[in-house]
Amino acid sequence: MRAAVVAALLPWLSACSAPSYLGEFTEGVTALFDLGDVMRPAGREAEQIAQLAWVLFIGAAILWLLVMALFVYITKQNPRPLSRRWAEALIIGGGGIFPVIVLGILLVWTLPLMPAQRMPGDGLTIRVTGKQWWWKVEYLDANGDEANTVVSANEIRLPKGRRTEIVLAADRVIHSFWIPALAGKTDMIPGQTTRMALEPTKTGTFRGVCAEFCGESHALMAFDAVVLEEPAFKAWLAAEREPADAPRTAAERRGAEVFLTQGCGACHAVRGTPAQAQIGPDLTHFGSRLTLGAGSFDNRSAERQSWVAHAAAMKPGARMPAYASLSDEDLAALDRYLEGLK
Amino acid sequence: MNSPQQDEERRTFREEASSLWLITLGPALWAVHFTVVYAATAVVCAKLGTAYLPYLRLGIAALTLIAVGAIAVIAWRSWRQWNYMTNQEYSHGQPTGEHRHEFLGHAAFLLAVLAAIATLYTALPAVFIAGCG
Repeated sequence: MRAAVVAALLPWLSACSAPSYLGEFTEGVTALFDLGDVMRPAGREAEQIAQLAWVLFIGAAILWLLVMALFVYITKQNPRPLSRRWAEALIIGGGGIFPVIVLGILLVWTLPLMPAQRMPGDGLTIRVTGKQWWWKVEYLDANGDEANTVVSANEIRLPKGRRTEIVLAADRVIHSFWIPALAGKTDMIPGQTTRMALEPTKTGTFRGVCAEFCGESHALMAFDAVVLEEPAFKAWLAAEREPADAPRTAAERRGAEVFLTQGCGACHAVRGTPAQAQIGPDLTHFGSRLTLGAGSFDNRSAERQSWVAHAAAMKPGARMPAYASLSDEDLAALDRYLEGLK
Repeated sequence: MNSPQQDEERRTFREEASSLWLITLGPALWAVHFTVVYAATAVVCAKLGTAYLPYLRLGIAALTLIAVGAIAVIAWRSWRQWNYMTNQEYSHGQPTGEHRHEFLGHAAFLLAVLAAIATLYTALPAVFIAGCG
């Protein structure tokens, strides 16, 4: 029986591509119990983690069933004392030798996964800095020229099929960078630089979160990870590098004026305008972002106006002051301007 | 001056003094191996860099061989002391010299097996992990 279990587990342990009926089974269970992004991997690291989880889960389920069947057999079907020889074999074999072998196989199988989870990137480098409670995102220049860094916030775009190096830092407290669909999490520590790499295998938009409690709005510190085909990514990065579009309509021009006269530029940058501060998120292409307030709200007119009027009421502890004194017209004009920052 | 009763105990347990060494030596070897492997890896990775990892691995392999070999000797000696093959005895409940002797051999044997497995598991990452990161 022991040999049969090991024989049944071995193809699982060695095979990178499980037979298709197993794939269907795991997909079905994932959908049925809504297991979430970790079990619906879209990146190289996450695929390894999900495979490991499935092997452990199915292996544990098989072992549990076998032990229960043995209990039923010994207590109900055939309740008689075992011979000393069989009892010793059961205790030493089942309690000692078998677990040592299984744990040894698992250890030998999983240890090489650890360096595989930390392999360096082969192209682009993105520096992400955890702030309370948002993410500063910088796409570094390939030649290391800091002046060519593309600054963004609260959204990370990645090319599919490439291994992007992620350099992580933190401002005041510890955060943790986690996109469950793509890879495991990595802590961001003030005064230190940590790193990881992301190699997406599917395009799409995936949720990223802060996975280390970092203060009152920790639960509202999220972001979108958008995976694009490489040509689309290159086009997007080229557009992101450009300064902000000039306001086109009267309302947008009025909004740009409100932005500057209300002092928004004391914290925010809109490249191509006098607003150049780096205290809050860069807003140069804010209108093209999917979400507002670090992955917490839809980036729509009502939410944007509400955010400007009383940000801390939507996100406790947020350092952005409330602009409740703005007239409805000014608020609407500012909203048009922000929406136009594509 | 010791009382006659203390002298009596001293005589009774003197013959088991070496058994106490036997029982502690297996886990102690594991602990020393563990500490040396972890400390050496940390120092090599922090001070010397990945270029020195092959030497570190050879060192860990040699140390593991020595440790497991020594633990095997301890296991063999405690197995003999347990004397299982002669009397197939698992319980050693009698307050006699023989039972004490066999109990300590039995316990030392099990601890030596545990120490050998733990030592091998400690060394496994050195075989399978390629870098310092």
